[in-house]
Amino acid sequence: MHIPDGFLSPQTWLPAWGVAAAAWAWAGRGLAGRLDETLVPRLAMLTALAYALGLIMLPLPGGTSGHALGVAVLALVFGVRLAFLAYSGVLLLQALLFGAGGITALGVNALALGLVGPVVAVALYRSLARFNEDVAVAVAAFVSLQVSALIVALVLGLQPTLARRDDGTPLFFPLGPEITVPAVLLPHLLIGVGEAALTLFVWRLARRKGWVAA
Amino acid sequence: MNRARLWLAGYAGAVLAISFIHEPSWLAFGLLAALLAAGAARWSLLKRAVLALLLFNASVSLAYALLAAWRAQPVWAPLLLINLRVLLLVYLGFWVVERVRLLDALRGWPLLSMVATLTLGQVVVYRRLLDDFRAAFRSRNPLPPKPTTLLRHAGVQGGALMEKALHGAEQSAQAMRSRGSFDG
Repeated sequence: MHIPDGFLSPQTWLPAWGVAAAAWAWAGRGLAGRLDETLVPRLAMLTALAYALGLIMLPLPGGTSGHALGVAVLALVFGVRLAFLAYSGVLLLQALLFGAGGITALGVNALALGLVGPVVAVALYRSLARFNEDVAVAVAAFVSLQVSALIVALVLGLQPTLARRDDGTPLFFPLGPEITVPAVLLPHLLIGVGEAALTLFVWRLARRKGWVAA
Repeated sequence: MNRARLWLAGYAGAVLAISFIHEPSWLAFGLLAALLAAGAARWSLLKRAVLALLLFNASVSLAYALLAAWRAQPVWAPLLLINLRVLLLVYLGFWVVERVRLLDALRGWPLLSMVATLTLGQVVVYRRLLDDFRAAFRSRNPLPPKPTTLLRHAGVQGGALMEKALHGAEQSAQAMRSRGSFDG
């Protein structure tokens, strides 16, 4: 679902880069001390999984593309800060190597997919885990994907309002929220089921291996 | 500043400038200049950029064309501007990646270099493993497999894939540990 280069006005992507840079600084603080030869391979493995998932995408008319993220499982296993940094790296690699996403859109993509998604996933998991852990993981993954998709759809849908010529023709992404929200959200309702199943699968593997407390 | 960072700085400046240009003729001129400057790699870069443009922009362009035609708004001028801008930005991105080694650009930031090294290594491991698994699955199924067989295979192989990927990453991490990458 990440936004490609050229779709966002500078009024959007420049401030988003500023906010994302502050968030990256926050997420990276004290990180070097946490990373060791036990944590790093696990992080690299799940980061590469997220990278691979993001490349299996379906173009969405009226939106950008639809795909699973794999960011919820990063957040549940490693926490929000590491998930945010790792997923930002995924977005950067996808943008540079495949043109999926982009440098101008990196700030918005990182905030929507890499930060808000993990925050929602962890918050939901913590709220629901006392009832049923598996259901909590699945719901956290599903809802976090929908929230990220909604933010992407709204940011895209705002572009014709934020940047247009005097005659009203758009300068960047041309479709309004009345189109982008259903175009991005509806397919992600289905993709979210796959995301939830995949997150549960990897979560169980992580629990079996003792990476997370049972 | 090393050569890789100079390229990145130039790329960042170009991206910023392109975001403020709203004349298709200037964007077309920029694309032409970038094509001329890229040398022998220009056509393969352009092909990749056009493919990326088709993947992400075609559906959006089609949706806008239908909507604008229905609302009796200008169709071609906005579409030309948007698609030229996206094509130029994607082309420049691919060009930079072709000319600059990401790990060279990240030299001086040990944490970023480490994460990039491991992730890029994992991507290669995943790709190789997936190719192996696909070939093995085909050789065991001369006839088209049933969906249940496919699903069972995907589940089992998914687990094995992650085990192998983890093993590969652990080896990389141990190699990095022995070279002092995790020393404070």
